[in-house]
Amino acid sequence: MSERLRIFRWRAIGPLLVLFVIAGILWWLFADTIARRESQKVGTQILGAQVEIQKLHLDLRHGKVLINGLTIASPHEAFTNLLQADELVADIDVVPLTEKKLIINRIAANGLRFGTPRATDGRVAATSGDGIAGRVLAETREWASQFQIPVLQLATGKVSIDSLDPRRLSTIPAATALGARADSSHRAWQAAFDSLRLGPTLDSASAALERLRHARATDLAALNEARQAIDRLKRARDRVTSLERNVTQGATILKSGLAGLESARQRDYAFARSLLKLPSLDAPAIGAAVFGPSAIRPFEQVLYYTQLARRYMPPGLLPRASTGPSRVRRAGETVRFPKQRALPAFLVRSAELSFLLQPTSEQPRRYAGRLTGLTSDPALYGRPTAFQASGPQLAAGAMLDHVRAIPVDTAGATLGGITLPAFDVPGVPLKLDPGAATTQLGFTLNGDTIRARFAVRSTNVRWTRDSGFTNSAIGGLIWQAVSGISNLDVEARLSGALQHPDLAVRSNLDQAIASRLRAVLGEQVAAAEKQQRDRVDALINDKVGPVRARVNEVQNQAQAQIAQQRARLDDLQKQLEQRLRELTRIRLP
Amino acid sequence: MFTLIKLIQSLFGALHSEGTPGQLAAGIVLGAFLGLTPLFNLHNAVVFALLVLLNVSFAGGLLGWALFVPVGFLLDPLFDWIGHSLLLAPSLRGLWTSMYNMPIVPLTNFNNTVVLGSLVFALLAAVPLFLLLRWAVARYRVTVGERVRQSRFYKAVTASKVYNVYKLFRP
Repeated sequence: MSERLRIFRWRAIGPLLVLFVIAGILWWLFADTIARRESQKVGTQILGAQVEIQKLHLDLRHGKVLINGLTIASPHEAFTNLLQADELVADIDVVPLTEKKLIINRIAANGLRFGTPRATDGRVAATSGDGIAGRVLAETREWASQFQIPVLQLATGKVSIDSLDPRRLSTIPAATALGARADSSHRAWQAAFDSLRLGPTLDSASAALERLRHARATDLAALNEARQAIDRLKRARDRVTSLERNVTQGATILKSGLAGLESARQRDYAFARSLLKLPSLDAPAIGAAVFGPSAIRPFEQVLYYTQLARRYMPPGLLPRASTGPSRVRRAGETVRFPKQRALPAFLVRSAELSFLLQPTSEQPRRYAGRLTGLTSDPALYGRPTAFQASGPQLAAGAMLDHVRAIPVDTAGATLGGITLPAFDVPGVPLKLDPGAATTQLGFTLNGDTIRARFAVRSTNVRWTRDSGFTNSAIGGLIWQAVSGISNLDVEARLSGALQHPDLAVRSNLDQAIASRLRAVLGEQVAAAEKQQRDRVDALINDKVGPVRARVNEVQNQAQAQIAQQRARLDDLQKQLEQRLRELTRIRLP
Repeated sequence: MFTLIKLIQSLFGALHSEGTPGQLAAGIVLGAFLGLTPLFNLHNAVVFALLVLLNVSFAGGLLGWALFVPVGFLLDPLFDWIGHSLLLAPSLRGLWTSMYNMPIVPLTNFNNTVVLGSLVFALLAAVPLFLLLRWAVARYRVTVGERVRQSRFYKAVTASKVYNVYKLFRP
């Protein structure tokens, strides 16, 4: 009996304790490796780019974490690192770790370097598209792709024309719709006209007039009948007036439809013109074509980090779901439950940064920066995340204010004396090397309203051209236009609703390139534009002509019908009234 | 192959052990917790400790674990849905918020949809599974158990050296 009631296997306590001790020893031995791998995994998942750590040492007794050789790849560029750090020392609160909360009181980061080259492609979000980072990256790419900047096609000096698909012209469906509307108006007006039933009224009035012609002044019945006929005629005329008003309104709509056809034709001209693969030869359009693609990139990158911050540092205290840890089993979603007056899940109270810019140059410059209040729960921390850095020819600052319901993210930087990489001018085998330039970036995202500015100024621009460009006459002329210009002043501005902001790009080269292009390509472009207009006309005139004629016919027919009936009514009324006057006139002897 | 042999050994070993059907069923149920829920979580350390400390069939635990791992994979979408519904239920938000801000509790990863969903599923399934298994083991032993014990196959399996290791932990 006692054997059956035995619940605990007391002899197993020893082996279990031994097992737990072994597990503890293993954890102690491999804690650094586990923490290093987990940090790499979580960092990679958060940023959407490979995070590599050479060495990580946990010293929980003293609340310290030491990281050596941190490398974070760029989420946007394949063989470039976002940053590298020689050493990071973090002071952490140990007690919140039991609540799975990481509170870092202070980080000292030394030897930070930005934009260093790497041997392998470190992009993760861009290649896999998974997780929050993957989604944000896809969103920002789609956002950037909305800026349809026409690309210069000047390499051969020929104006290229894409085929014109009639299905993409807006005039043809508009003309079809207007024709249908004209027909339906015609039917409606005819039905309304028939419902007036003017025939009996006119017939009875004619009969009354005939009787009145042979009546005497004492024939009261004939007089009354004539008066009633006049009343009926007046009422019929009111009905005709009402119908006429309707017809006039309908005709106005049809006329506006005709005007709409003209607008659609202009749009089709513009569409056909866009197939020329040549931007407008106006200076602002030239600026957008030459520098637009390069100017969008910094905005796209800043927006990526801002949107990531908004996802990982949302305002408010509602539960937040994010993708769970990657494992063999389904990751699921991990939901956080922030609580007022409790610690946030992640907080860096203060970070002191010491970094180098242009580390590969002969004289790399040293800078210092400070980051405060980086947290996963800004509403709990109660203060915005702030960053500032300064040094020789550098002033940079950023603030992520997610404390209130509508987040406001701002960033600004001015960096001088930095050699920017040379880039190809789109569509032209021409390379622009800005040299040592001053770069400015201003960015504000207030809720869903964006306002951003990116500017580059340089006084020692160098132009180089491809060998294939040498034989091109246009190439030579463009080369002449720009090669003598050593100053560069480019400014791109973005403003408006985040989903559809307005982009404006201007540069000091716009006018020079535009005037040269106009001189060289003006006639060719004009001829090509005329050709495109003729093609549009040939496609739409067959549709628009009959519709225009039909609209005029319907309109004229309805108006003529009304005018005719109105004239008959007026005439009969006039005759009746005149005869009545004759009969009722008092004749003095 | 080795795993398969081990599984068959566990199965026969457990079914023909000296333990009662209840001990075997309880072991399998605890093993089911290990198999149904994602393994590396704090609650599974507790389950493992219970499996070792309670006078239940350890082999049954291993068997339950092995049997329910594929079931866990298969039911992950269901667990995800259960966990999602529970974690985002407005009426339970206060409970989860309190638990999330307590020491130690967040280390169980209860706030993961799959972990919570599978744990709740395992808890709900535990009692019916225990009753069903206890009845099934008893029926097996009464009906075909003795014939299997006398079979050559059973003798070959139990003669393996691995079986000796198992015997150290039998109830």
